[in-house]
Amino acid sequence: MTETHADALSGLESPEEAAYELRAAEASIWTGSRLLISIFAFTFAALAFAYFYLRSSNSADLWRPNGVTAPTATGAAIMAFTLAVTGLQYYGVRRLRSGTILDWEVAGWTAVLAGLIALGLQCWELTDVPFTPGSSGYASVFTGWAVLNIALLLGGLYWAETLLARHVRLRRAHVEEGGEKSGLLVARVTRINIVSCAHFWMFIGLIAVFFWVFFYVVAG
Amino acid sequence: MTVEIAPPTSGVGEVRPPTRGPASRRPAWFGQHVGTALVGMVAGYALGHWIGNVIASGYAHVQGSGENDVAIVLGMVLGVLGWLAGIGALNYPLAKLVGRDSVPRETTGWTRYFRYNLTHKVVGMQYLIMVLVFLFTGGLLAMAIRTELLSPTSHIYGPGTYISIVSEHGTVMMMMASSMVLGPLGNYLVPLMIGSRRMAFPRVEAFSFWCFTAGYFVILSALPLGGFPTGWTGYAPLQTEATAGMDSYLVGFLVVGTGMVLAGFNIVVTIIHYRAPGMTWGRMPIFVWSILVTGVLLATATPTLAVACLFGILDRTAQTAFYVNEHGGSSYLWENLFWFFGHPEVYIMALPGFGIVGEMLPVFTRKPLFAYKVGAAGMVGVGLLSYFVWQHHLFQSGINPDMRPLYMLTTELISIPTGFIFLVGLGTLYKAKMRFEVPMLFCLALYFNFLIGGITGVFLSDVPVDVTVHGGFFVLSHFHYTIMGGLVFAFFGAVYYWTPKITGKTLNQRLGKIHFWMMFVFFNLTFFPLFLVGLFDQPRRVFEYAKNLQTLNDVASVSAFLLGSSFLVFVANFVWSLWIDPKRAPANPWGSNGLEWQTASPPAWYNFERIPVVLADPYHYSEPTEVPVADLAPTNFADAAAAANGGGA
Repeated sequence: MTETHADALSGLESPEEAAYELRAAEASIWTGSRLLISIFAFTFAALAFAYFYLRSSNSADLWRPNGVTAPTATGAAIMAFTLAVTGLQYYGVRRLRSGTILDWEVAGWTAVLAGLIALGLQCWELTDVPFTPGSSGYASVFTGWAVLNIALLLGGLYWAETLLARHVRLRRAHVEEGGEKSGLLVARVTRINIVSCAHFWMFIGLIAVFFWVFFYVVAG
Repeated sequence: MTVEIAPPTSGVGEVRPPTRGPASRRPAWFGQHVGTALVGMVAGYALGHWIGNVIASGYAHVQGSGENDVAIVLGMVLGVLGWLAGIGALNYPLAKLVGRDSVPRETTGWTRYFRYNLTHKVVGMQYLIMVLVFLFTGGLLAMAIRTELLSPTSHIYGPGTYISIVSEHGTVMMMMASSMVLGPLGNYLVPLMIGSRRMAFPRVEAFSFWCFTAGYFVILSALPLGGFPTGWTGYAPLQTEATAGMDSYLVGFLVVGTGMVLAGFNIVVTIIHYRAPGMTWGRMPIFVWSILVTGVLLATATPTLAVACLFGILDRTAQTAFYVNEHGGSSYLWENLFWFFGHPEVYIMALPGFGIVGEMLPVFTRKPLFAYKVGAAGMVGVGLLSYFVWQHHLFQSGINPDMRPLYMLTTELISIPTGFIFLVGLGTLYKAKMRFEVPMLFCLALYFNFLIGGITGVFLSDVPVDVTVHGGFFVLSHFHYTIMGGLVFAFFGAVYYWTPKITGKTLNQRLGKIHFWMMFVFFNLTFFPLFLVGLFDQPRRVFEYAKNLQTLNDVASVSAFLLGSSFLVFVANFVWSLWIDPKRAPANPWGSNGLEWQTASPPAWYNFERIPVVLADPYHYSEPTEVPVADLAPTNFADAAAAANGGGA
């Protein structure tokens, strides 16, 4: 036997209750995204702790022997592409708020493309570093950063891509059902999610800048 | 990872309606369930191991060692992914990539407990069973430890096997204890207690459970891989030098840690946003307060553990040197990162226990909860301060001695909010006419046990005492008194208390009292002698000891076996009362005012026929004019909600 929420709740949910739960669902996405940022903030704080701890300990005088640094140009490119995603997300949200959905779509897909490039560069950089992972404290922390950054970019891109994919499918379904291609649907269904995703990308952008400074500018 | 995207297509949100279709009429063994998850895990492990061998078998350090950590870790990671794919946890995330909603099979009947199910009550029950599996596994390992310690000189195991058993016991128990209350009781009861029909992110909730389960298999794999010698704390540099069993520890904690973060994330958001109208912060049950703080700690402290484990995995596979002093790393880095998680972890384990007894004491004393707001504030205070004490675990590690007074002070400071919480309980008990039902006995035992555990903790926070007894059985007894004496007793009290709610059946009270007295007496007879053993300098994690300590050790060992057998009484009671001779429980057997008791037992899966409007906190016992806790059938929901919120605390 199969039972569904629809079966169970049909006739039980008044319009006021439905509206109450809708508000709760929207607020949950808002709070959830902030809590998600906190979770990742602690994650990267642990990485930053490792960076400064090993740098100040300088065990066996092997924090960063001979001033070796990861490829600066690649690192800068990764940061630039990550910031591009952040900027495009921000721009898309602004355009969406002003009712221009097409701009949001174009900015969103461009952002996904830029994010994929950043991700690819980060993976490639790992194969192109002028040190072995265990050769120094710096090399170790850099390897850890690369792995965590790949995970972060993957997570952020997944969120951005799924929002766009969902939008495309909903719009198509809406048109097939005879509805107009209006801004109402996407605004109602995913606006708060889109804004939250943009905030998450701002956090990713900040992380990218901080660790770019740590690893390429003031590596010590 | 991403937050659950919940497209509320018509209001209720994400668990909204899969439709009946041909697929849902298939027999129960079709589709995805634990069986397919196991197949996925084995296949994933085999694939990962093969890839790891292809990648790394040529590396010099692998060829020389006869052990390929890359293959083992990749096997474990793909094994976990296979497990999650097999159970169906990845269906929705993958479907979303192309913009689709996957339609979950929502079944009723017993098979739903073996599936990826999005109903919070099912997840709560799944957690309950898995927590008991963890507990009994760790308990059997504890029996093995005490068997070895029956004699100071005759040995059953070698020293390596002994330390592996100790390490496995500690790790399994810590993993279990982290989720012991929040997993089963938090997931099951919190929506009922706050007047919600659902969780905020049901998929995240279910995902957290299946991560927890996968972690069990991973940590258990340490035994066939030769175990690990570090204890549950996994200290470097021993960690870096250990053999393949250490991979199980690191991957296992990473997987379980992921589940802990997600569980905390979901429950925090649920409590913040899914409280019924009128359920103001000042009316929220104290148990929910404890779960809220625990959830925040889980979500924010555990990422540090995950990162520490990732570094350990990289050291062992990619040959980084995070914890290798000779190559620019530092073993202290692990210790700091681990304990930055590890001390909040102590309160992750302790706070829910206090929440449980805080919820039950008013019911069995028929008195309002004494100083409710102080108790809630104490929990928040403990949660905040728990981030600032971790270095007291390193007093003896060689840290800068100037740091010791600071951390001694913060550690002693945390005893103040802890004392608040304790005094709230004592104030409620003061001049009370108590009903000594089984749950109440467990509550009282918690206060007795935690008093001993807490006071010895104050001693241990002082550097001179810590320096003297560090690394011995005194510390071991202290934390068993706080965690087992606190959390585990509270957990069993909660099981007796809420089983009528969850199952509609009552556990046998006579067997319950036998269980309680055996557990209480033999718990104290097991661990109190170990304080003395510790004061006589018997070190932890060593399988030989001075002959003059044999009597005390034997008392502890025999008591431990009897303590273990008390759990068999519980299992017998559980099976007897729920399946062999079930007795229908009254609707509200303890006479509680709690909102969860105002709906059917067991609750319908939508919890409340109408979203209730909360009118008062649930602790107005024995007051001349008792206020109804909630309006369960508000005629005009919007108006009633506005009125209740306006008049709230």
